[in-house]
Amino acid sequence: MRIERSILSASVLVAFMVLATGSVQAQCRSFAKNKCVPQLAPYKFNESFNGAQLAPGEEAEVNLTFYSGQEYRVMVCVHQILGDVNWKLVDSNNKIVFESLADKPKTHFDLKANSTSQMKVVVWVPPTKGQSDMVHTGCVAIMVGFKE
Amino acid sequence: MRTNRWPAAFALLVLLSACGGGTEQETLNVEEGQPTGVEQARLESTKKIFYSIPSPMETAALLKKAGASYNKNILNDVTNVDKYTAASKQALNLGIYGADLSYASVFNHTQESMFYTSCAKRLADRLGVSSAFNDSTLEAMEKSQNDRDALLDIISETYWEVDRYLKVNDRENTSALMIVGGWVEGLYIATQVAGAKSTPELRQRIAEQKISLGDLISLLATYDDSDPALQSAREDLNSLQALYADVKIGGGQPTSTTQADGIIVVGNDGETAALTDAQLNAIRERVAAIRNSYIN
Repeated sequence: MRIERSILSASVLVAFMVLATGSVQAQCRSFAKNKCVPQLAPYKFNESFNGAQLAPGEEAEVNLTFYSGQEYRVMVCVHQILGDVNWKLVDSNNKIVFESLADKPKTHFDLKANSTSQMKVVVWVPPTKGQSDMVHTGCVAIMVGFKE
Repeated sequence: MRTNRWPAAFALLVLLSACGGGTEQETLNVEEGQPTGVEQARLESTKKIFYSIPSPMETAALLKKAGASYNKNILNDVTNVDKYTAASKQALNLGIYGADLSYASVFNHTQESMFYTSCAKRLADRLGVSSAFNDSTLEAMEKSQNDRDALLDIISETYWEVDRYLKVNDRENTSALMIVGGWVEGLYIATQVAGAKSTPELRQRIAEQKISLGDLISLLATYDDSDPALQSAREDLNSLQALYADVKIGGGQPTSTTQADGIIVVGNDGETAALTDAQLNAIRERVAAIRNSYIN
């Protein structure tokens, strides 16, 4: 009986945690869809969701391909709980093409590709100042729009 | 007392595994950092890496700009939809019909768009994704039949919702198969169109798919490798990658300048990507074989 009860309680706990994980992802996607996608206009969202919950000190990167003759908007959208983040676009030699620092943040920039280019967007959340036991996580989405 | 510890240990294990893979695109890289404490060191060692695969809509728009023509005869027959009973086939063909839908819509063939929407919806229903692709979606599309931009927006939104539903509901393998189906169909359409009328621009776009193929293979590597359907898809893509091995996609030194209006112009001083006739034929035949194995 005790074992059955334990299994039942474990099942409930596991189900709760799976649902909670899904819920966090759902919130991040909803945030990106409602807050970020509209800001890509007049560019058309490329339908690729690159987003996750990040905490201070964490980093995310996405490799992007920009096709020749196309125009793009690259945006990094951050939930306010994280404050401003640092992000940059680097070329295949790791040279910075565009950079936005937390003390002078920019939400997006536009680019044209003269020839097809592979680049990388790197986002990193600055560590929180001072000592605190609380670790805040928030959604960070790297979004790309293109002109048809 | 001992028995009571198992649920907690099991739950902790699940929690830890859930933390390690928030989305199917994430991997964990451990790098050396400057630890200022255990927690801070853990945070600094965490990097999330995403793989951006061009969507069917983006691929169709690129093909149109490259001078591709519309040919409805190369698309998956709508009467095939009832053949797909296995979940893996339904997922692959949801991606395939989605790509056909994008191709028809970008080229403004509204009637065919509606047929492919119906096929995609039937597969979405069978996959249990009807809440993301429901009757109101169909109604909205019917109302927007004469407004191409509005139609493209609804298709884009629906693709996003289906993908979101699958990922949020822990069905990432299904989502991955849908992405594979859509990508394969995009390359199939491009190579078939190039077979009928091969322009340098089309060949360039097909050659450049070497990049997205590499990203797609990297993305699949982050999924459960015990899934036979995903394993089979990996083998298909690996066989294509072998054909792309000698395809030149430019390279050269990257360049960037900023225009007066703030727009950054990027490029490189390498040659434009291109395909030889032999490479194009080999890729066309291989992708056709893969795609036919998915639709039949």
